[in-house]
This record gives sequence, C-alpha cells and structure tokens, in this order.
Amino acid sequence: MKFFQAFRYFFREAAVNLLRGWKVSLLAVLTIAVSLFIGGAVLLVSGNLAASVERWRGEMRVVIYLRPDTSEAELRRLAAEAARAPGVTAVEPVTAKAARQRFQEIFPGLADLVAGWQEEPLPASLEIGLDPRTAAKRTTWLDGWRKRPEVTLVDDDREWLGQLETLVAVVRAVGLALVGGLLGAAIFTIASVIRLTAYLHHEETGIMRLVGATEFFIRGPFYAEGLLQGLIGGLLASGALFGVYQALHIRRQGSLFSSVLALDFLSPQQVAFLVLLGGAAGLIGAVASLRREEL
Amino acid sequence: MIQFFHVSKRYPGGQTALDDITFDLPRGQFVFLTGASGAGKTTLLRMIFREEVPSAGQILVNGRNVSSIPASKIPYLRRTIGVVFQDFRLIARKTVFENVAYLPRVLGVDLQGQKRLAYLALRRVGLAQRLNAFPPELSGGEQQRVAIARALINEPEILIADEPTGNLDPDLSREILRLFLEVNLRGTTVILATHDRETIQRIGRRVLTLEQGRLAADQELVGTDPPVLDALAAAGEGPDPEDPQRSSGEPAAEEAGRSPEEIAD
Repeated sequence: MKFFQAFRYFFREAAVNLLRGWKVSLLAVLTIAVSLFIGGAVLLVSGNLAASVERWRGEMRVVIYLRPDTSEAELRRLAAEAARAPGVTAVEPVTAKAARQRFQEIFPGLADLVAGWQEEPLPASLEIGLDPRTAAKRTTWLDGWRKRPEVTLVDDDREWLGQLETLVAVVRAVGLALVGGLLGAAIFTIASVIRLTAYLHHEETGIMRLVGATEFFIRGPFYAEGLLQGLIGGLLASGALFGVYQALHIRRQGSLFSSVLALDFLSPQQVAFLVLLGGAAGLIGAVASLRREEL
Repeated sequence: MIQFFHVSKRYPGGQTALDDITFDLPRGQFVFLTGASGAGKTTLLRMIFREEVPSAGQILVNGRNVSSIPASKIPYLRRTIGVVFQDFRLIARKTVFENVAYLPRVLGVDLQGQKRLAYLALRRVGLAQRLNAFPPELSGGEQQRVAIARALINEPEILIADEPTGNLDPDLSREILRLFLEVNLRGTTVILATHDRETIQRIGRRVLTLEQGRLAADQELVGTDPPVLDALAAAGEGPDPEDPQRSSGEPAAEEAGRSPEEIAD
C-alpha cells in the first residue's frame, strides 16, 4: 500500500477511535498534558532564570570597600592600580562623601540616618567592572585585594551569581526528574489505553489479518492513535502554559517575578519540542503496548 | 493447487484434531468437506490459510509450503484465498462498502477503484444497492452474501467456506450454494465445509469425509440434482446469460443509469 494512503487511513481510523472512546482517550491526553505542562514550566522558569543570570553576569561588579581614613589621593592611586589589571573593564572610585550622597538619593526616606555625622558614615570604595568572559579567573587577584590593609571588605557579585547558577541547575535537575517520572506515567497510561482499544478491536483485527492485511497495516491505526494523543497533550500543555504565562505576566508586570521568572515565553522551537515530545511519548506508549501483543 | 501430505495436528493437551491427512485438490475443483462436529473440518481449513500450522506433514498451496513461509509472507498467501465463515465475521461499525473493500484498500487501490471493485463484488452477490448499509441493518443471508463479496473481491484462486449456510434458512442456503457453484464455474477452487448431507447428495462433486481427525472417505458423488445451475436458471434465479458477472435475480433496473460511485456515495 502506498505510504501516503496508508497514513491517511491510519490517522482517519485513529481519529475515529479517539472520538469513539473519548473518555478514555481524554484521560491519556490529560496525563500527558499535565506532565508536559510541568516540563514546560520548568523549561520556562529555568530558561528565564538562566537568562537573568547571564544578563547580570554582563553587569557584574566587584566593590572593594576601603578603610574610613582612606584619602582621596589614595583612592585614586588604588583605582589606577585596579584599572591596570587584566580583565578589568571599568573602575569607578567612590569617595565616602559621594557614597553618602548616593545613599541619600536612592533612599530619601532614610537620608537622616547618614546625616549629622562628624565623620563620613559610609566608606570609600572602588566599583570594578569585570569582563564576564574572564571574570572566573580573577579570584586570585581579588584575594590579593582582600589581604591588603587598606581594604575592609570585597563584595563579589560572582558569589551570588554562582549560587543562582546552582539554583538553576537544581531547578532543572528536579524538573527533569519530575517530568521524567510524569512522562513515564503518561506513557504507561497511553499504553494502557491503546491496549484497551486493541482489545476492543480484537475481532476486527482478526478479520483484517484474514483478508491479508500486513502487521504494519493492522497496527498502524493504533500507533497513530498514540501519536495523536501525545500531540494533542503537547498542544494542550503548550496552550495552558501560555495562558498561565500571560495571566502572570499581565498581573505582575514590573515585579521581580515577571522580570526574572516569566520575562519571555518559550521560543517556537521549544514549544515545538514540547509538542513533539508529547507525540513521541504517545508513539512510544503505543509501540510498547503492542510490542508483544498478538492483536 | 492444494496438497496435504500426511498432515497431523495435535494440541498441547494431547488432543488430536487431524491425523495423517493426505489429499490433492487440483485447480478449479469444487470440494465438499464433511464430517460431524469436531471431526477436524475447521482445523483443516484453517491450515490452508495458515491460521493453524500442522504438527506433522506438509501442506502445499500453489506449490508453496504454507507451514514454512515466514510470518511476514502470510498476508500475501491470504490475499489469494477468500474465506467465508458461518458467523460472517463482518465489522459492525463499518459499512458494507468498507467491509468489502478492505483488501483493495490494503493493496493500495485508490478510493474510486475500491468503490468500483466493491460494487462489482456486491453485484455478483446481488447486494450492489446496499453499499452504504451497516451489517446489523442486513438480514443473515445478506450478511453472508457481503462476506462472500469480501472473499471474492480480489478474484481469489481459492475460496474456503466453513459452514457458510449453518445459520441460514433453506432458501437462503440454496442461494448461497448457488453463488459458490457459480464462483467455481469461473475457475476458482472452492472448498466448502458442511455437515449438511442432503445438500452434498443433491449437488454432488468431490466429497472429503473426516471422522475423528482422519480422512475416512474421498469420493466423487454424482448429485441427485446435477444440473443445479441450469435448474436455477430455468427458475429465473440463475446468472444472467447476458451478463456473466450478474449472479442473482436482482432487477437490472435497480442499477440502470447508476455508476458504482453514485451508488457508493
């Protein structure tokens, strides 16, 4: 039989079977949709989190806080020294006075806290920009600064960015494990549904075999049914994920949540991957269910 | 055409269904297979289309040893054999057309071709006007004729019928038998299993008798009513001499001016 004709027949039969046993099929479709929804959510959150980490890495700074008695001349000398180091993209010396003024501008409600002191309450500092490509290699250089007597504290963005990266990896690993388990359950459900459908059509497949239908022709509609269930599940999951994303995005516009976790929706390739993953899971379920079946 | 060489079938429990069966059916023969229930008629028939494999012996169909053909080749063997059962084995949720056109569809014939072949096969059994009906809407005789049309659609070399009239009243049985005889006249080898002795004696032909799995007799009978087809034709029930494909008393006017596609659509 010509392949195109065969596949048209398979999918027409599969569609009829899906409609006839829609309650059981719905169970399989929903199971796979739930697992793919969670998978998509993990992909969305971890993807946005990773993108944020990458963005912050581009804006990464190291702030070296100096002793309160550091003079302006000393500050400039240290700034010039820092600027000469490889991988340093920018150095901004911030005097104690400038630090106090910046605080008062950023937090006007707390301005009184830093007013009226005999000495400047905030330390002078060096705000150093690092090239993200070589930032990881600057640890020894920063350790050198930490040991210098004029330095009181080195605030290194790389530390919390590293922690965030670990968080992204944990989210991905937990998500993958969860999705793996749920997909396994979905495949099992689809396999059970297909096995049930095959059982209901036992007599029919016997007749097909008698008139000379090949195994490919007999099993094709069941494979197509599994594939369709998976694809529908994938489409439902993608649709639901987009709906939830839109709702959260609109409701929490401008918040940390939207800027970090739901900044961008999945790319078309990722959505296609989710749908195809559903289809593949459905097909695997169907093939597995009929692998040893004498239909 | 069909050769059995010392064929035996024993089931795992020790029960013997067939015991040392040997016979040779030439092409184009009409053979009755008879015997009491449990004599092994169905097992023998199922071996011809490889639904069963012998425990011992060889079966050749068209020169091919059916016991040793690989599983992937069995469908191709079955496409040369039409099978009709007592219980019709039609798919209730599919139309008459879909039931009959199964094999052309499997063979990749396009929809118009399927309709044409189904129409021709159904016309032979006098049911061309029921293409779009569902099996449960048909009488038992009509369902059996649909099953025969399905078996005939690919012009099989062999037609096997297992108690095809077992569920039908005498008039319908006669009609079905007449169809088989007509098919045989067109060159198809027909093997018909029945325990209806009266029919066998009336029609005659070669008769293989099974008793407890053994071939008890292989005889050529002269029927008490030998020119069956002539008699049926004289009664107005036979095939139309003007149309060799027409097999029933279905009025020609029913189909006049209608194409197969129109009837199927």
